[in-house]
Amino acid sequence: MEFMQCGARKLLFLIVICLVGCSTPPDAYHDQNMDFGAIQTIAVMPLANFTRENLAAERVRDVFITKLLSTGALYVLPVGEVAKGIAKADLTAPTTPSPEEVVKLGGLIKVQAVITGAVKEYGEARASTAAANVISVSLQMVETQTGKIVWSASSTMGGISTSDRLFGGGGQPMEKVTEKAVNDLIRKLFK
Amino acid sequence: MSVKGAKGETYLPESGLSIAVFPVENLSGSTAPLRVVRESLIGELRAKGFRILEEEALEKFMVRNRIRYASGIDDTTARALRKETGAEAVLITSVELYSDAIPPKVAISSRLVSTGEAPVILWADGVGMAGDDAPGILGLGLIEDPSFLLKKTLGTLVSSLERYSAKTEKQTHEKIDKKFEPRISYRSPALAPDRKYTVAVIPFFNLSNRKNAGEVMVLQFIRNLQRSESFNVIEPGLIRKAFLTLRMIIEEGLSMADANILFASLNADVIITGKVVAYQDYEGSYGKPKVDFSVQFIGKETQKVLWSSVSHNEGDDGVFFFDWGRVNTAHAMASHMVMAVANTIEKRQGGK
Repeated sequence: MEFMQCGARKLLFLIVICLVGCSTPPDAYHDQNMDFGAIQTIAVMPLANFTRENLAAERVRDVFITKLLSTGALYVLPVGEVAKGIAKADLTAPTTPSPEEVVKLGGLIKVQAVITGAVKEYGEARASTAAANVISVSLQMVETQTGKIVWSASSTMGGISTSDRLFGGGGQPMEKVTEKAVNDLIRKLFK
Repeated sequence: MSVKGAKGETYLPESGLSIAVFPVENLSGSTAPLRVVRESLIGELRAKGFRILEEEALEKFMVRNRIRYASGIDDTTARALRKETGAEAVLITSVELYSDAIPPKVAISSRLVSTGEAPVILWADGVGMAGDDAPGILGLGLIEDPSFLLKKTLGTLVSSLERYSAKTEKQTHEKIDKKFEPRISYRSPALAPDRKYTVAVIPFFNLSNRKNAGEVMVLQFIRNLQRSESFNVIEPGLIRKAFLTLRMIIEEGLSMADANILFASLNADVIITGKVVAYQDYEGSYGKPKVDFSVQFIGKETQKVLWSSVSHNEGDDGVFFFDWGRVNTAHAMASHMVMAVANTIEKRQGGK
């Protein structure tokens, strides 16, 4: 009986270890002290582009702004207004503003937070004879009172699936993959 | 009862507005037979009985008033044209695509603008055709002659103007396939359902490889919004004049300060701005057009974005059997997409 109880405990322990090992790490950061309900208006800064596609950052920014607007949860400033604010605040690196610069910008264009980020992958990925479109984006939300990051997430979509490798097909169009990644990021923002 | 011209061609007796046909603008990004297009257009118009201002009178007017820009008309030029030539309207035409590779492709858009005190867009339409749009059985419907396709295109355009002129048909929105609807869209609750907005369409930012894609998209929006009962579109010539007078250069997007200046100058309620990411045609038989753009409507009263959408399509979207539903020109596809934007806005306005 004791032997069986000991065995049962060991088995339970093993099951717990396996389950913990299978779990995925959190893929978004939310500042627990931040009142996200206070954010009414945000600005999306120009995104850094680490890809070979010149328009990647512009495209993702466009899609993200429209998608965020369509949620109805907050208002996103037009890019022209953001550009004017960047010029007024004299930001030398608009894709990576410092906390002080974010505070200054927030005061000029009257937003409670700004979104910054980078497009790390955008375009075709190849593996031997298979190819498919892939996108990888990471974004952060910086609130403009203190310049602190209050949210951060990343998303990678597309890529070469098993069916692409076996049957070819080229994967999904880039626009669809971009929308999926943006949807994923917004889901993580409002989680 | 028809009338015979000097070269034996047949015309209907002239009636209606006296129209000055401005030189044709080339937005195709490559060579196009502009003179042939203009002459054919004038021929088609005369055959339908339109009163066309004599060439000599128009040329003298343009020289006297030093008019170099013929892609639009501002209020000063419109007043002078009416006063000096008696022309009651001006026809402004642009060639958006001309390819004589087999099968040939042509896309032309045109608008009729009143002269006098305040130029108003009376009519706007565009036609994009490819020689293989309707090849039929055994390719019997395939058009390989570019001049025949051009004549067919201009004929369709002039017929549209004729229907407007005879007031037999009000230009309205057609029902558009769902596949052309914006992929993502946002409509502000502040966009009032029963109101008619005066809109200014400013040149789109062109991020594509296609030359003049920004201007082409402006014409698409003008054409499709003009048909709507919810929008009154300002003539682009007036917008250009405002930009020049105000010395306004927009580099990265329209700021609210710039928008407010334009609202006051143009007496507009909404400014439409956007970006063209892709506007591609193809030559020959194999390929597909691609159009990708985003658009925002910025409101004067709310000082906010009233509409934002992202649209992208390729010519073979939703095509599964025998090229049924395939679109062969970027012009035709962009037209469907912009019409879908206008329909979506109106549909949501009407609550349908």
